[in-house]
Amino acid sequence: MNKEIQVSISNRDDVSILNIKGDVTAISGETIEEAYQKVSTAGAKKILLYFDKDGYINSGGIAILIGIASESRKKEQKIRITGLSSHFQKIFDMVGLTKYTAIFQTEELALKDF
Amino acid sequence: MDTDKNIELHIPSVMGYEKIAMECAASMAKKMGFTEDRIEDLKTAVAEACLNAIEHGNKMDTSTKVGITLTVGESQLQVSVKDEGKGIDQILTPSIENKIEGKDQPRGWGIFLIKRLMNEVTFQTSPEGGNVTKMVIYLEK
Repeated sequence: MNKEIQVSISNRDDVSILNIKGDVTAISGETIEEAYQKVSTAGAKKILLYFDKDGYINSGGIAILIGIASESRKKEQKIRITGLSSHFQKIFDMVGLTKYTAIFQTEELALKDF
Repeated sequence: MDTDKNIELHIPSVMGYEKIAMECAASMAKKMGFTEDRIEDLKTAVAEACLNAIEHGNKMDTSTKVGITLTVGESQLQVSVKDEGKGIDQILTPSIENKIEGKDQPRGWGIFLIKRLMNEVTFQTSPEGGNVTKMVIYLEK
């Protein structure tokens, strides 16, 4: 039943961008985790998570993102977020993820903040 | 309350099926005149209640079902989510700090979100067995 998630990796200067298309759940979140590990292994210190505005994110998906935020602190990486709908911006703020990362309205604004 | 407008559905205890209940509740809320923002809140709350029922209540046992009832009021929508489980664990308030520091598991946000997004929430054990999460969202005019 889970819509397939697609995560592609691109780069803008020294920023690794994870383009996340689809639903972010406990099951599909593994694909995001794998992409994060891939860019981390390659030495990325600046990572932008670019979400799909129409995507569904549940608490299982949020847990995956908390795991990434936790690991990024240990690895001294900066994580920035864009592409979220206003609802999920509110949800990320409610759970406190915005204490550990920042959400931007556009990719350009997020890139400028690194 | 016009019971003719009430809706009942049953979904299998399989991850992903919560989206069926979520979309059903959203369709009803849209028909009732809820704003887009409140419909999004309702969608997340219904999805999380169903996920809890699937994962924690029914333990993902595919022989069990999750029952969802939408009760339409003049100025509110009540959503009841019932599983076939044997009581719910203690409900603790999650701490992002503990989760980020690795002291707690990163999961466990479902009930927190339901409480934050809905106007009224109760968790009960049904007399005939199973857990029932009742959520009410007010129609603001």
